[in-house]
Amino acid sequence: MTSPTMPPEAEANPGAGGERVGVYVCHCGTNIAGTVDVAAVRDWAAGRLKDRGVVIARDYRFMCSSLGQELIEKDIQELGLTRVVVAACSPHLHENTFRTACARAGLNPYLCELASIREQVSWVHTDKEAATAKAKAVLSGAVERVIQNEPLEPLHVPINEATLVVGGGIAGIQAALEIADAGFPVYLVEREPSVGGHMAQFDKTFPTLDCAACILTPKMTTVGQHPHIKLMSYSQVEEVSGYVGNFRAKIRRNARYVDETKCTGCRECAKVCPIELDSEFEEGLAGRKAIYIPFPQAVPNKATVDKKGYPPCRVACPAGVNAQGYVALISQGKFKEALEVVRRTMPFAGAVGRVCNHPCEVDCERATVDESMSIRSLKRFVADYELKIGREKVKPVELTKTDRVAVVGSGPAGLACAYDLVRKGYPVTVFEAAPMAGGLLRYGIPEYRLPKKVLDSEISYIKELGVDIKTSTPAKDIGQLFDKGYRAIFLGTGAGLSQKMGIPGEEIPGVIYALDFLKYANSGVKVNLGSRVAVVGGGNAAIDAARVAWRLGAKEVTIIYRRSRAEMPAVAEEVEEAEHEGVKMHFLAAPVRVIARDGRLIGVECIRMELGEPDASGRRRPTPVKGSEFVVDVDSLVIAVGQSVDKAGLAKELTYTGWGTLAVDPVTLETNISGVFAGGDAVAGPADVIAAIAAGKEAAESIDRYLSGTDLRQGRPEQVTRVKEVSKAGVKSKARATMPVMDLSRRTAFFAEVELGYDEKTAIEEAKRCLSCAVCSECLECVKVCEAGAIDHDMKDEVVEVDVGSIIVATGFQQFDPSAIYQYGYGRYPNVMTGLQFERASNASGPTGGELLLADGRKPEGVAIFHCVGSRDENYHKYCSRVCCMYSLKYSHLLREKLPDAQVYQLYIDMRCAGSGYEEFYERLQEEGVNFVRGRAGEITDIAESPDEEGKLIVLVEDTLIRRKRRLPVDMVILSCALEPAADAGQVARTFSISRKADGFFLEKHPKLDPVATMTDGVFVVGCCQSPKDIPDTVAQASAAAARALAMISKGKVEIEAATSLINEELCSGCRVCNALCPFSAIIFDEEKKVSRVNEAVCKGCGVCVAACPSGAITGRHFTAEQIMAEIEGVLA
Amino acid sequence: MSFEPKIVGILCNWCSYAGADLAGISRKKFAPNVRVVRVMCSGRVEPAFVLKALQSGADGVLVLGCHPGDCHYAEGNYKAARRMPLLKKMLAQMGVEDERVRLEWVSASEGDRFASIVNEMTEKIRQLGPFNHNGGGANG
Repeated sequence: MTSPTMPPEAEANPGAGGERVGVYVCHCGTNIAGTVDVAAVRDWAAGRLKDRGVVIARDYRFMCSSLGQELIEKDIQELGLTRVVVAACSPHLHENTFRTACARAGLNPYLCELASIREQVSWVHTDKEAATAKAKAVLSGAVERVIQNEPLEPLHVPINEATLVVGGGIAGIQAALEIADAGFPVYLVEREPSVGGHMAQFDKTFPTLDCAACILTPKMTTVGQHPHIKLMSYSQVEEVSGYVGNFRAKIRRNARYVDETKCTGCRECAKVCPIELDSEFEEGLAGRKAIYIPFPQAVPNKATVDKKGYPPCRVACPAGVNAQGYVALISQGKFKEALEVVRRTMPFAGAVGRVCNHPCEVDCERATVDESMSIRSLKRFVADYELKIGREKVKPVELTKTDRVAVVGSGPAGLACAYDLVRKGYPVTVFEAAPMAGGLLRYGIPEYRLPKKVLDSEISYIKELGVDIKTSTPAKDIGQLFDKGYRAIFLGTGAGLSQKMGIPGEEIPGVIYALDFLKYANSGVKVNLGSRVAVVGGGNAAIDAARVAWRLGAKEVTIIYRRSRAEMPAVAEEVEEAEHEGVKMHFLAAPVRVIARDGRLIGVECIRMELGEPDASGRRRPTPVKGSEFVVDVDSLVIAVGQSVDKAGLAKELTYTGWGTLAVDPVTLETNISGVFAGGDAVAGPADVIAAIAAGKEAAESIDRYLSGTDLRQGRPEQVTRVKEVSKAGVKSKARATMPVMDLSRRTAFFAEVELGYDEKTAIEEAKRCLSCAVCSECLECVKVCEAGAIDHDMKDEVVEVDVGSIIVATGFQQFDPSAIYQYGYGRYPNVMTGLQFERASNASGPTGGELLLADGRKPEGVAIFHCVGSRDENYHKYCSRVCCMYSLKYSHLLREKLPDAQVYQLYIDMRCAGSGYEEFYERLQEEGVNFVRGRAGEITDIAESPDEEGKLIVLVEDTLIRRKRRLPVDMVILSCALEPAADAGQVARTFSISRKADGFFLEKHPKLDPVATMTDGVFVVGCCQSPKDIPDTVAQASAAAARALAMISKGKVEIEAATSLINEELCSGCRVCNALCPFSAIIFDEEKKVSRVNEAVCKGCGVCVAACPSGAITGRHFTAEQIMAEIEGVLA
Repeated sequence: MSFEPKIVGILCNWCSYAGADLAGISRKKFAPNVRVVRVMCSGRVEPAFVLKALQSGADGVLVLGCHPGDCHYAEGNYKAARRMPLLKKMLAQMGVEDERVRLEWVSASEGDRFASIVNEMTEKIRQLGPFNHNGGGANG
């Protein structure tokens, strides 16, 4: 080392701690010197800052040049500088340059500071005096700070040899292959079911016109088979932790419901899938199924099930009947299979399809378009269809279990429970007190609503499965059942006791309770009601009683209900039909007294009611209006005001609720007696059939758990994910199919069914209205045809963690949606298409086999291509998308080739054809006879102004070269749409700690010198997620990023920032405030010493803990309080 | 001579400092009154730094960090967002006008926003007049 020579004016000042500071002011050509008086700054530093330790101040045209750096190195060695300040550009640009220069001269790099006087001074100010003054202040701050700086040694950590590549388009594929070919492991994560990205959709590539698939698919195949690449398609990175060289990524592998190791890619599943939707890959020009492989060359060539959760109808159904599933199959004419879907959940398609209060239809998404689906009637349709064609006897279930189960009561709850248990292999015996099975389905619901043959068929189906139903066999004693060897019991005994009204005269003959009345009627016992009948109540039983009374010959039937129509619990359609049949309604009236003469009923006295505040049921409470009594003359009165549980029929040990219903655990339905479960009306009070079925099913689940000794509660009630968003784009309004009903005149004669059911054509048409909310309907047709047994509809998402050294983000772009530009008519005119749609239309493997056709099948005679759709447009994206000129030229070429007689127009603003062979391609196209029109298209219209324009799309444009407005009649318009950041780019940026530019694309570390790195060391960005670019540039970037990753791997270790936090154990009080604050969990608590300690490898140096430490025990190295305070003082000096 | 406010800007390295650089790269022009001190994260800003600036002759202090959700260190800016109101409460008790200290979010792509915040702040402080720390705020 040369001995330091000291200029005479340079005397170190003891006030600055004896440091010898060198100051270097850069001109940056005229970048700085144009606005800042560099010489003045230099002289000021040498003079005014002399007592702050400045021993030398120099200026130089380009400090970052090698000569500039040598100047500093020479001074360090010759003048013995102990600190260096360079007043130049942003530290983000050249901090490392000057630190490295200092290190070369033997000075610790952390003893060098940059004062930013370019980005933050000369470039942003115009007043030379003010800019110079500010430059001095910034410089003074840097000098004060550098004096306080301390030498630091960077930490070296080993680097993980694996790399994570995110995005499987051409960028990700290229990067993955480069690294894998070098022999290092790569995890390639792709969100879609296949790799390939946008390039896989392209037809040809410009300017060479290679077929995109021909050059891409070999690479895709290699990626799929490479021994060093672990391909994770249909997956997403959810979280990244760690630091350069040692990242840990959490990857969600979305359930594809297909075992990739078993699927052979035969596509048989897609053939039978009933759900069809627009193919994303074909840009909506063709359809795909819910189970699909996006395109023939997909890698991996494995099917994926597109499942968005549970459809609203299925969520709404208390029993969870898969409505979307059977509706989808009906739409395909697969009626038998549809019935199978219903029977997977419950056996009563015909009964429930008639009498259900259909909560599914209330929640149906179709209602937001026009009317809800007719789900209930479709269910009925498939049951009727089976009755029509005849059902083969069912094979009994193999009873694999030995524990016998007793079910008491054969109503819907009991039978649903028995049905589920027998299918699980349990021997089940049903005890029924009545002569026939069915409970209220048989004895409560009249024939005209539910014909007995429908119910009989469904009950016999249950019997055929192996359920033993003992009718006329009441079972009252629970203990006895256990003694007989039943191991578990379900009580589905219903609420069979009619509630009394408690009014005077209720005991008079002529007053009858609806339950008894309906039971007689349904058993064929004749009841004479006379000609005037009043029914009290507003539920289904009241309506049923009224309509039955009318059928039995009553001339005048009146319903008396104390609330208004809106509060009626009866099914609305039933109420309407009753009125249609002539039943009168007395709303807001309640009976107060039954009037008799000679012991015979002659009338009922009522009082008017008015609605007050809502009660516990949410319905407004009716209160009587004083003095409003009136009399209705009747011959008989049917009371249908409620039912309650008959306690006499059950064991005495059972406990009851305050409502008089059986008390059970709400989740398991277990009663107070172990092994005894209950559900249906006996527990819930009189309720809907479907709710009773749901309870029977829930109890069956409990009994199975109880008998197999597993936890009764775990995972219950089952949590299902309801579909969040349902696409309704392009759905045309279509009215709900109307239910044909029997003519009024024929109804009284006999109890024939009123609703006649759909015919096959109506059912199919109605089923086609379904929006397929959940996409996959879980009809399980695919499972049946998959010979490999690869499909598993119960598959769950899996979260895997991988450790990697670096991450390459290649998440690509999305095409601008041109429907935002209304005047171009995209979405309204069928022959206006996007660039990507043209790629598919022109592609030999596309939906038309590469033939360019109009929507009506004709060949276009004129085609216009619009450049800059969404690009270079203040309203959308200001930037140029860079590739549109070239791909538009490519389209022109393909059009000229395929439609030699067609006129092709290119409407451009400027032609941007910079690239190898690009300008030549432009020239070639000019020779091919394409019409180039300079001007941005204003509008597309279909209003003709001359015979030539009839039936055409007329493009309105100002040709700026000839300065004239033109009308170009064409048949097809292609919109060359902008490339824009993917919709979730913000989320991706946060996941990987990268920033975005104002246009939304990912921010590179330096636009020129470090275009693939980011501000987060070890994370690289490549391809169109960084900015729009063509394939050659994308591939080059991908290779560049791979080279950067490989460089780190080959180095074996990585240097990490020394500016980490350090805890002074002497000062640490062990309060642990910092532990929780650290976002990286870098601070651990030493239980033995009761102090906190920083793991330097994990610490990222944010300094949050430093600012928070109440004891001042934490030092933020290189950003100490002393250093920052000194700088603040310096800039204000 | 008219009053030229001296304002200290404490900027986080990742978003706001990069945003200030972008203003330069885009050649935005704005008032030369803010002198920038760089920290790694707005969560590093100790209330003492702000006090130090005011004590050393600053007429205003600007603390800039990443937008919520964008912090390079996940949540450092939230810490700043909680500390600053406490500090401002204390400053108010000392008679310092509220507008002299300001916390804002500026992302790496918001060069324009940085420039306009600097201009606004400069104008505001110009209206308030010099900060006299010995006399206590505007009354001094």
